[in-house]
Amino acid sequence: MSHSKLAGIFNKDEKKVDWHDKALWFVRHKRDLSVHEVKGWEELRNLGHGIKAHTLSHLDVYLEQFEANALKNGVQVHWAANGDEHNQIVHGILKENHAKKVVKSKSMLTEECHLNPFLEANDIEVIDTDLGERIVQLAKEQPSHIVLPAIHKNKLEVDELFQEHLGTKPCNGDPQYLTGEARKHLREKFIHADAAITGVNFAIAENGGFVVCTNEGNADMGAHLAAVHIACMGVEKIIPKQEHLGVFLRLLARSATGQPITTYSSHFRKPRKDTKMHIVIVDNGRSEQLSRPDFRASLHCIRCGACMNTCPIYRRSGGHSYDATIPGPIGSILSPGKDLTKYSTLPFASTLCGSCSDVCPVKIDIHTQLYKWRQIIGKETPQPFIKKKSMAAMGKIFSKPSLYGKVGAVAHWALRTLPKSLINSWPNIWGKTRDLPVGHKQSFDQWYKERENNKKDDQK
Amino acid sequence: MDSRDTILKKLKANKPEFIALPKINLDIFDENIDMVKEFIRKVEVAGGKVFEVTDNKEVLSKTQEAFPDTKVNFTNLDDSGFFNTIDYETLKNPHKLNDLDVLVLESTLGVAENGAVWLTDNDIPVRVIPFITKHLVLVLPKENIVPYMHQAYNALDPEVLDYGIFISGPSKTADIEQSLVIGAQGAMSMTVFLV
Repeated sequence: MSHSKLAGIFNKDEKKVDWHDKALWFVRHKRDLSVHEVKGWEELRNLGHGIKAHTLSHLDVYLEQFEANALKNGVQVHWAANGDEHNQIVHGILKENHAKKVVKSKSMLTEECHLNPFLEANDIEVIDTDLGERIVQLAKEQPSHIVLPAIHKNKLEVDELFQEHLGTKPCNGDPQYLTGEARKHLREKFIHADAAITGVNFAIAENGGFVVCTNEGNADMGAHLAAVHIACMGVEKIIPKQEHLGVFLRLLARSATGQPITTYSSHFRKPRKDTKMHIVIVDNGRSEQLSRPDFRASLHCIRCGACMNTCPIYRRSGGHSYDATIPGPIGSILSPGKDLTKYSTLPFASTLCGSCSDVCPVKIDIHTQLYKWRQIIGKETPQPFIKKKSMAAMGKIFSKPSLYGKVGAVAHWALRTLPKSLINSWPNIWGKTRDLPVGHKQSFDQWYKERENNKKDDQK
Repeated sequence: MDSRDTILKKLKANKPEFIALPKINLDIFDENIDMVKEFIRKVEVAGGKVFEVTDNKEVLSKTQEAFPDTKVNFTNLDDSGFFNTIDYETLKNPHKLNDLDVLVLESTLGVAENGAVWLTDNDIPVRVIPFITKHLVLVLPKENIVPYMHQAYNALDPEVLDYGIFISGPSKTADIEQSLVIGAQGAMSMTVFLV
């Protein structure tokens, strides 16, 4: 389904859309307050961009260096060309360790690979331990935001879900009570887990370590109690040196939620005694994206979600309208690289206002890339008949001023004279939820000429 | 060819021409902040509490004052026999620590700009305890506060670390309708004593 159709479903509940819009704008506002406190913020963004650009230009070398160091640290390293291979590797590790119960902290990569259904089909229990992710897991949905996975749900829905699955009492959606009950429920899961899966925010080439950031502490609760820790990362998570964390940890949380740093920034390097640590390095289309000069900077992304919070379309269409693991502006430039036809409407889910690029902590030119994808999609994928024809017609009109004048006069006459039912009839998609402006009797051109003539008359 | 070689070969073929690594000039960020004041402000913003004390003895007496009716307490501070209710042996089975009430640990590094306190395997007897404990208390010498994350990493040798963590405030979540709730999966409170 196209983005606009899915957005239409989300827009049926107008009150919810209003709340969603305001809640995310508030997060954007907190981001502003937080970054304005940092002296040299723009330079910090430049550094984030520069370090990522450098790393991508040297990516194979850094990955090999990372692997060698991780092996030295007693960590096992695996490589997966695609999602299927990733899932098989993770399953293989679990099988080898007789692990039947798995706790997982937030990892967009495992969502992208559809790891949960794969493991469940193989008789393994996977519990998402981030509260927002647990909520969407219980609801059998996907996260709608990469940092705020359950932002599309209201507290009453969570209340009902917890009553059904965790046996909680009705509480009119009291967040304190519900979070407390989730804590108890998840504690049990942590204590009995055989293995823990985490994502990776940053992997450090020079020492083979990796960093995971959470606010809840769920990554650590899982990794430090289970006998096996599997960390899954995309190839682009590499940074050259530990000192570069100084740049990225300053950027990440401020851009995401306005916090100066997440509650927990965990640096894993060696497994604890008598336990195992594995790292799975995944390509799944990233090397393809690296080959595209116009789009490779999308691999700079550190998954803060700032572009979603600021996007006027995302805030009003909801994350599920993108039908992709990574929604929002960044998702709209990543997804077409994976499947141009399936995601052909996403780059059009934008006003090209550029707000996403303005808040991006690693200065990805998101709106420029959205525009460039449009050019490719226009050429390579079939476009709706009306859009194709009207674009061609508009092209002709805009290229000939005299024709533009004539058509404009007719259009203004039509807007003044014809009934709304006709003007907003089906070929006019714009008119579905909006009115066109009032038609004027005089065009700007006519008004300007008349004004100049009047001036001349005055001078005489 | 296995996936490792395929991926590396593709990345090598598809990467752009070499781009130099930018140098980090720390002068750009320096604001000459009052580090202790800023640190206290940021811990409080993160939902934690800060007290300035004279020595470790005061740390433990103040901790007992703050958490008077706790059953299970642990610290690795010196001369703390009266405070501890469990020993190192118990700690070896971290799965049994679910009822730990108060944990007091010493840190060697704090960051003013975000109120983060650094702990490594050297400071934590078992990795899970700062998370599994109900209340986390950290002791930090004032002179070990650095202004920004850059200085923090300059103080940490990348080759020495096995496991380390920056903690800023108690565990928290806002995943239910954006309402902030303190005490998600980790510690429900965090107190820092500056000595």
